[in-house]
Amino acid sequence: MEPTPKKTIEVLGPGCTRCKETYRVVQEVVEAGGFSFEVVKNESIERMVELGLMATPGVAVEGKVVVSGRIPKAEEIRTILAAS
Amino acid sequence: MKPADRLSPAAAALVGLAALLAWLAVYLNLGSFARWVTYGLLRLAPGTHVSSAVEFLVFEVPKVLLLLVLVVFAVGIVRSFFSPEKTRRVLAGRRESAGNVLASLLGVVTPFCSCSAVPMFIGFVTAGVPLGVTFSFLVSAPMVNEVALALLFGLFGWKVAALYAGTGLLVAFVSGLVIGHLKLEKWVEPWVYAAPAGQADGQTAALTWRDRIEAGKAAVVEIVGKVWPYVIAGIAVGAGIHGWVPENLMAGIMGKQAWWSVPLAVLIGIPMYSNAAGILPIVQALLGKGAALGTALAFMMSVVALSFPEFVILRKVLRPALIAVFAGVVGTGILIVGYVFNALL
Repeated sequence: MEPTPKKTIEVLGPGCTRCKETYRVVQEVVEAGGFSFEVVKNESIERMVELGLMATPGVAVEGKVVVSGRIPKAEEIRTILAAS
Repeated sequence: MKPADRLSPAAAALVGLAALLAWLAVYLNLGSFARWVTYGLLRLAPGTHVSSAVEFLVFEVPKVLLLLVLVVFAVGIVRSFFSPEKTRRVLAGRRESAGNVLASLLGVVTPFCSCSAVPMFIGFVTAGVPLGVTFSFLVSAPMVNEVALALLFGLFGWKVAALYAGTGLLVAFVSGLVIGHLKLEKWVEPWVYAAPAGQADGQTAALTWRDRIEAGKAAVVEIVGKVWPYVIAGIAVGAGIHGWVPENLMAGIMGKQAWWSVPLAVLIGIPMYSNAAGILPIVQALLGKGAALGTALAFMMSVVALSFPEFVILRKVLRPALIAVFAGVVGTGILIVGYVFNALL
């Protein structure tokens, strides 16, 4: 396989328990699935506004919001990552 | 794979129905269960402080927790039909009045967490939702919530729960209307309107009924999992008051005659925030000892609608003057609700 530049997946939220859980789910999927993604935890409100996210926790892949206001399931993240 | 995942829709519906019937059977027999535990199992003498407190505790704790589970589950399913993004689409460009009514109602069913109040506020105003309409939403969303309603229903009955919901919506509607008419956009931090706000959709796939039921379950695990210690602690204190504090002790302090009790209740409620679940059972016990219902309702509303932590969060987007107006307008609304109920009931 050719090495591809790492894409980013962002977990957005002010650090509540739901956001931590979301971060855990995302990181687990990335590690277990061997996805070449960098997982970033972002607590900045300015970034949420920039992305147009209105409810936390949120997940964004390459600057596009894919999950808003809930803890995603591992399967869902796997599908999203495989598609992008 | 959990067994529920393999069930056909018909079988799943049957399981749901059976669960509901079991819930009802347990709920309706709690009174006899509490008497059996108190007088049969523990052999306490009827009519004493201890037996009265124990019976109260054994009856109220499972009752309130059962109600919480059912209501939080149902609301979790209802909320899966709504999202902040949809609500914003409905409210954008609305005129005042009709917009305020809609915003107050949508505040009840839209998933909301005060930790995302700021991104939601910005998302609303930059999408063209008028400031007053946004405030109607921000007042109603935390105030008329499922935990408060389930507890009120369980401890005070459906009439008080309905009164709370109705007057809560009214306070949200009028507060938003007043703030809208005051034209306070100048007190919103300027960076909010300059923010390069994107408009995310956030919904990747259409939800199935199975997803919605999962959402209901997740809400139960999360919310009931968080508030149950407060409920038990609150009811335990309530049981103590129930058993030992003499009748009408509270009448002088929180009764109808004490005019100052309503503003005092509102002021005390502001610094209390996450403990709404634990405070209510205590309020119920005080009510039984002569405290007035309007005062109790005002206290409850103040606890959930006005809070210091929320003011601090909102400070990021609002000038202190606007936060003061917000607290003043909503506080006044709550005061009026308290006085009106004390006068009518």
